Amino acid sequence: MPRRKFLEMGLKGGIAVSAMPALLSRLTSCQTGSLPPGRLGMDKEILGRVIAVALEQGGDFAEVYLEDRISRQIVMEESRFKSGLFGISQGGGVRVIAGNSTGYAYTDEITEEKLIHAARVASYVARNGGSIQPVPLEQAGRESFITVKQPLQEIADEKRIEMMERANQAALDYDPRIKMVLVDYNDEIRGRVIANSEGLYLRDELPQMFFIVLALSEDNGRRHLSRERLGMHMGFEMFEETPPEEVAERAAREAIAMLDAKEAPAGIMDVVMQNGWGGVLVHEAVGHPLEADNIAKKVGAFTGKLGQKVASDVFTMVDDGTLPNMRGTTNFDDEGTQMQRNVLIENGVLQGYMTDILSARQLNMKRTGNGRRESFRYYPIPRMTNTFIEKGKDDPADILASTRKGIYVQSLSGGSVNPVTGVFNFTCREAYLIENGKKTQPIRGATLIGTCMDVISNIDAVGNDLDFGPGICGKGQSAEVSAGQPTVRIRGINVGGSRS
Amino acid sequence: MNYTELSADLVKKCLANGADAAEVYLAVDRELSIQVQDGELETIQEASSQGVGFRVFVKGRMGFSHCNDLSAGSLESTLKQAISFARLTTPDEHNVLAADPATSQVEGLYDPAIADVAMEKKIDMAMELEELAMQDSRVTRSSGSGYGEGETEIYLANSNGLQKHYRSSACFLGVSVVAEKGEQKNTGGEYCSRRFFSDLKSPGEIAAEASRKAWELLDPQMVKTQRAAVIFHSDVGRSLLGGVISALNGERVLQGASFLKDSLEKSFASSLLTIIDDGTYPKGMASRPFDGEGTPTARRVLVERGMLRSFLYNCSVAHRAGTESTGNASRRGFTSLPGIGVYNLFVEPGTYSPEEMIAATPRGLLLKGVTGYGIDPVSGNFSGGATGFWIENGKIAFPVKGLTIAGTAYDILNAIDMSGNDVDLMQSFACPSLRVREMQIGGK
Repeated sequence: MPRRKFLEMGLKGGIAVSAMPALLSRLTSCQTGSLPPGRLGMDKEILGRVIAVALEQGGDFAEVYLEDRISRQIVMEESRFKSGLFGISQGGGVRVIAGNSTGYAYTDEITEEKLIHAARVASYVARNGGSIQPVPLEQAGRESFITVKQPLQEIADEKRIEMMERANQAALDYDPRIKMVLVDYNDEIRGRVIANSEGLYLRDELPQMFFIVLALSEDNGRRHLSRERLGMHMGFEMFEETPPEEVAERAAREAIAMLDAKEAPAGIMDVVMQNGWGGVLVHEAVGHPLEADNIAKKVGAFTGKLGQKVASDVFTMVDDGTLPNMRGTTNFDDEGTQMQRNVLIENGVLQGYMTDILSARQLNMKRTGNGRRESFRYYPIPRMTNTFIEKGKDDPADILASTRKGIYVQSLSGGSVNPVTGVFNFTCREAYLIENGKKTQPIRGATLIGTCMDVISNIDAVGNDLDFGPGICGKGQSAEVSAGQPTVRIRGINVGGSRS
Repeated sequence: MNYTELSADLVKKCLANGADAAEVYLAVDRELSIQVQDGELETIQEASSQGVGFRVFVKGRMGFSHCNDLSAGSLESTLKQAISFARLTTPDEHNVLAADPATSQVEGLYDPAIADVAMEKKIDMAMELEELAMQDSRVTRSSGSGYGEGETEIYLANSNGLQKHYRSSACFLGVSVVAEKGEQKNTGGEYCSRRFFSDLKSPGEIAAEASRKAWELLDPQMVKTQRAAVIFHSDVGRSLLGGVISALNGERVLQGASFLKDSLEKSFASSLLTIIDDGTYPKGMASRPFDGEGTPTARRVLVERGMLRSFLYNCSVAHRAGTESTGNASRRGFTSLPGIGVYNLFVEPGTYSPEEMIAATPRGLLLKGVTGYGIDPVSGNFSGGATGFWIENGKIAFPVKGLTIAGTAYDILNAIDMSGNDVDLMQSFACPSLRVREMQIGGK
């Protein structure tokens, strides 16, 4: 599996987001929750010895990351519980940074012997470097942004099944033209231990829930497969805030609405994007180019543009890993840095990049809490958390009414960007024509293309209705994120329709 | 540890703990990855890992569990989790395991020499590749070069008495560079992946291709929104035909979620289109002797002169469809259940050289890059971003970027009217250049 992942990642800039709309209207208040005891019982002395071995050859920084995950996935298809999947995964990785070079090695077995071996392998990059003295490990304190009321460990599997049945029934009941429903339930508890040569020692446990409903509609040979997702870092109380029926009905509504879709027009036109997961457009088009790894390599589209005007005055964009319980939120990133709110672009002016430890060193910038990794099999890289366009002053109804002709995008399937050129593409999942300021005919999945610089310069209206949706972001490794935006209007995007 | 014995033993343990049928899928991996940036070693990653997945049927119900800790205690508790988890699922008469004891002969899956090549040599290759790719003065920056390798061993055993094993290797060499001119930027990347180290293309060959891709699209122009011919260059065959392959997934077909669900033994595309799936191709990057649940792989005609000849099946979906598995059970490692996938795909080449195809096109687009999801396997819609060259009077006129192309699968696939002779059989999706007579192109 790692080999295939590597080959797939290739060098073709494997950045793609595929995630679907969902409206998370309510956020819980931020409380400090007490975490249940972890299962990663390796003591600090051993970790200290591993770090010391990692730096024996030299190097500027060394880190040990231990991880333990328990995951459940239950799939319901065609009203049958098709499969139940239970996974246990554990392992540890050792990283050494020497100058601009990173060495990384991991092991499935969390033993001192295996970690010491990994440390020796990782230290290959530091053969000729000067050495630092590791600081003795000390437990660090971090604010908590994740509260759990109903721990996943205490939930009977029958409760999980019940949520799925309720979603399935609600989607089927919505309309007889819903022919098939797929419900994909996922939860996971991820324990982390992070220790590094700066003396940092942290551990926590992160619960995660992801609930996906697909609905297939069919009528007269026309078909549409819709998708809705709900995902939070929280306990099973997620379903008290958003009942499974709500997710299912949103999926069913889209599947039925799009049965009437006609050919989309082709060419450059104005686009109004509904609030919520549409924020994935700026996640891709602007967020990825603002991740500091490509900036440090001096190839990123925003290289050298700090403090410059890069977007229209009404455009402010934020990455905030502290929004309580959201899918991109953690208490600290996978390098141990405290999560925070990072304003990336404010009123059109570029304010900052998203860094991890390495890129912050290379650029001589502060750490922003964006060093994330998919698992112990990967070293951390700069990634987004909860990324959104800040709310503006316009009434969403006015934005639509003042758009004479164009496309109204209610939800996007996903898309990708080339972080060097800033060229992006998106596929519409649910979209409509705008004629004389009104939403009219639904149109078939058209691609939207453009460049990041153009799109953020051409946003001329920003609504007051900020909302979010959960997704999965891929950049050689996957990360849980959310993306958000209020209703916005973008002037002049190229729409890939099939008629003139 | 003897994994063949272990996997067979674990099947017995599943049965002893209450499973009526069981399958054990054990994978052992080794990987090395080297990345170079601006002449410096950027990252080096090396690791070995292993894991096992248990699929059990209890009174017709399916449960699955996986773990990466191969200690006896952990294996025992994990397999019990699968058995206990099965109680949640619905009994299904189609829950069956593979029973064919045969294994296909596939030459050239494993190169024992890869691991013997010195680390320094591999680093030097990536360094040389980056340096060569930067030689053209139009190429101004590097996005990095890399070398990677991996070895995988698969051990599969099930309660039908199957006990199979194979081992495979792969290596990879690639680079990505940036060409700049004023405010313009364009990236170009090229890579080569092979089963055998000695089969890798030379750094010079890969570098030249990456460099050319970066500079050849500088100074693009925009064209008007119009209908015109589109030549899909052989590099973008996957973008055109990937959605067709997804629509052949037998499970999608049974669920009604495929635009080809009613097209078996019917003509749905131009007679120039013949597609073959081959899991046995020697040294093929997607070849293997048996599929993700143990059925032997084969060479199979999926589309013959525009006629749909076969859907793709694993055992349980084939059982439900009342047919035999086509040996297309795919698996994303030991953590996943078998799905349905393909191996090396070959689209039959035509007789025209790419130059002849351009010369025969009065006006149109030579498509070199497509973004987006290609043909939607459910609805058959196609819409994507497009880059390439504009053709006027049978000649390349100028590069184009920022265009869109769109249509429906039926319209596009039936309008294929020329196919090229430019197929690279070492690509896992080997497709010649294909011309579509007319498509909607979105521009200014």
